Amino acid sequence: MSDAKVTIFTGKKIITMNPAVPVAQAIAVQGDRILGVGTVEDLAQWGDYELDEQFEDYVLMPGFVEAHSHVMAGAVWEFPYVGFYDRPDPLGHTWSGCQTIAAVVDRLAECERELKDPNQTLVAWGLDPIFLDGERLVAKHLDQISATRPIFVFHASGHLATVNSAMMDRSSIDRYTPTPGVARDTDGEPNGELQEPAAMSLAQDGLSAIGVAMMSSNAKWNYAREARNCGVTTIADLGTTRLTMEGQLEAWHEATSHDDYPARVVVAVGHSDSNLNKKNSNPIVSLAVRLRDEEETAKLRFGIVKLVLDGSIQGFTARISWPHYVNPPPGHPGNGLWLIPPEQLADIVSGYHEAGLTVHCHCNGDEATQVFIDAVDLALQRHPRWDHRHTVQHSQMTTTAQYKKMASLGINANIFSNHIFHWGDQHAAVTIGEERAARMDACATAEREGVVFSVHSDAPITPMSQLHTAWSAVNRLTASGRVLGPEERISVAKALEACTLGAAHQLKLDHDIGSLEAGKLADFAVLEKDPFEVSPKELKNIAVWGTVVGGTPHVASSK
Amino acid sequence: MKLSEDLIEVSVIGGYLGAGKTTLVNHILREASERVAVMVNDFGEINIDETLIDSSNENTISLTNGCICCSLVDGFAAALESVLSLLPRPTRLVIEASGVADPSAIAAHGHSPGLALDAVVVVVDSVRLIEQIADPLIGQTVASQIRAADVIVINKIDLCDTLASVNVELSELNPNALLVYANKAKADLDLLFGREILRTASAAGHMGKFESRTHESAQPILRENLETLIENLPSNIQRVKGIVRLAEAPRIPMVFQLVGRSWELRALADRGKSPEGNRLVVIGPKGSIPIGWDNFLS
Repeated sequence: MSDAKVTIFTGKKIITMNPAVPVAQAIAVQGDRILGVGTVEDLAQWGDYELDEQFEDYVLMPGFVEAHSHVMAGAVWEFPYVGFYDRPDPLGHTWSGCQTIAAVVDRLAECERELKDPNQTLVAWGLDPIFLDGERLVAKHLDQISATRPIFVFHASGHLATVNSAMMDRSSIDRYTPTPGVARDTDGEPNGELQEPAAMSLAQDGLSAIGVAMMSSNAKWNYAREARNCGVTTIADLGTTRLTMEGQLEAWHEATSHDDYPARVVVAVGHSDSNLNKKNSNPIVSLAVRLRDEEETAKLRFGIVKLVLDGSIQGFTARISWPHYVNPPPGHPGNGLWLIPPEQLADIVSGYHEAGLTVHCHCNGDEATQVFIDAVDLALQRHPRWDHRHTVQHSQMTTTAQYKKMASLGINANIFSNHIFHWGDQHAAVTIGEERAARMDACATAEREGVVFSVHSDAPITPMSQLHTAWSAVNRLTASGRVLGPEERISVAKALEACTLGAAHQLKLDHDIGSLEAGKLADFAVLEKDPFEVSPKELKNIAVWGTVVGGTPHVASSK
Repeated sequence: MKLSEDLIEVSVIGGYLGAGKTTLVNHILREASERVAVMVNDFGEINIDETLIDSSNENTISLTNGCICCSLVDGFAAALESVLSLLPRPTRLVIEASGVADPSAIAAHGHSPGLALDAVVVVVDSVRLIEQIADPLIGQTVASQIRAADVIVINKIDLCDTLASVNVELSELNPNALLVYANKAKADLDLLFGREILRTASAAGHMGKFESRTHESAQPILRENLETLIENLPSNIQRVKGIVRLAEAPRIPMVFQLVGRSWELRALADRGKSPEGNRLVVIGPKGSIPIGWDNFLS
């Protein structure tokens, strides 16, 4: 043992998530690692220590691990929020939800007054028209805010934006604009709504401003602050193609090497079709291997490649098996979209698999899950390899038979449990129907079939908070308050395991994080209440003091 | 024909994995008679004779015939920006869509300032088409691509012994598209791109199979006259394209495109980039275009 300083933290209760020693009263830390857990008396055997009692009234747990979110969760806060639900920002301010068009206009008018440069575009995010009753927000509403300053409101879906007349003037959008997706009123004049990327990119300084924000240092910091505020100590930015862009890897190093940076980050490399070259090796393989072997630090980790195989269920673009969608919009072709040709997947997966990388594949629909399972099966026949931990991401419609097969192949799942709350009512009524909605995001089936799993927020798609995703997996309450699929509810203990060890396992970090035991990194969530003592319905309401990352406390911004 | 000196015409090449999209792109690069920029997913698949490479870097290859290949590795927006900044400007941009993409989503970008969409070209593998359409995993993807096509290149016909059923299937999915038959994706580029057929090129290039005629006039035309012209065209006319000014909005240059059996009239995004007046070219099999085909416009 080295002679570095030992600190013993005490807590009201320390939940270790280590089944061999599940509960402790104190935890000793040396450097950034845990020396041991137990009582202060037990830990005194390690010699001199400093007693830190600041968490005496708090419950300590392993820091939560959010294995599927995006740095975009930090970037969006460069811009004002106009979504329907209240949402806290990384600096601790809670933005109240804008529940009417008037509220959206008031919020934007307030933000407009704060901008000094009269030419600067006002960009906002989070608008979700399906929640706003009555008429749709269009340019004429935004024109009440400013007749001269361009305004760009990015919708929560990511597929639409609404702009004002000043933006249309600046960008030459008028009744003759030929680009499809420029929505029009009954007279043929554009109404300010721009649908899909070709139309959205007509608006100058709109989408591009969001792209710039995603590359910024501030986005990386706000991403980690958002994590800290909800007790998350490790976040996975699941899938980026920006690591090859100039300065981005350096920017991640610069942020995460800072002592005050309050999280560990796993940056997963996004597979891109553009790089697939059958004649030479796939350059993403060599990039991901090099990052894993040469660029890892204590707070910046690699080794994961992200694939996106299908779309989303609520967008009717997920690939789902027969009987497909219950009530798709008019003109829908019947099933969703492939983003990778299904017959190419086995070759793509094999390339990463053979290089020793872990593949996380976005599969919302069960047909996509099946194609990924088959691809892993084939990759394993070609290159037998134990403990690969390839993971089905979202895994929203994965069936019992599929979970059984995943268990036998060693595939993990990361289940999008927050969907039950946010879109569960729509899934039952419109997308996949009652029966399949009752067994979607099937944590209990995954548990029963022996698949190692986690649950996630996909922030910023839903707000980051592992206490909320766990609550959703435990209670399966929808926004309207019904219990959707009670048989798929899991215990609080299992949900907390999913948010700690389960997530750490699929990131191949469970030797370092996910439980509190000697030798692991000293990453804790500091909670005001014991999640095993509160009513399961209160899980999401437990207040978070902050986190400890590598032995360093980071207080949440709301404190 | 060139719509205008400063405009880049856009052709989107779609089609399922293995249909022959990249082979078609290679054919276009070899046969190019204009300055073509191509955006491709994968340089490694582009088959360029080393002696034709003028210079290359990580994301672009310049050819001695003036053509340029741009990689889509940094995303569509970045690639488009680099094409728009090329000097001298290319006259045509060919975008190869990925094998599962809906080419119409990419074609939507073809109406951006500086660009004018020419056509969505979808390549199909005639040997595998029937089987692909019936495939529960990919059938809908292949069918959606075919529905999005203005031109369908029916490829590998020398290997196909069920061409009649392929034709039936395609006409059910998309009765309006212009069908072009090819082996090794060697499709007629005048038809694909709607180019004016010069007599010399015609004799050398297609043994005189196609012809074109051009209409030019100065005064804005009436929409109904244009519609009458379309109704009276012989049914085997393959393409009509050009820029016209309508009497109802003479300041707005309108791009007219007739491909196969459907037509479209859409404003040009860059209004300053078109000369005044009307210019239309019609392309059809040799002998199909009557003298006075454009009488309705005068």
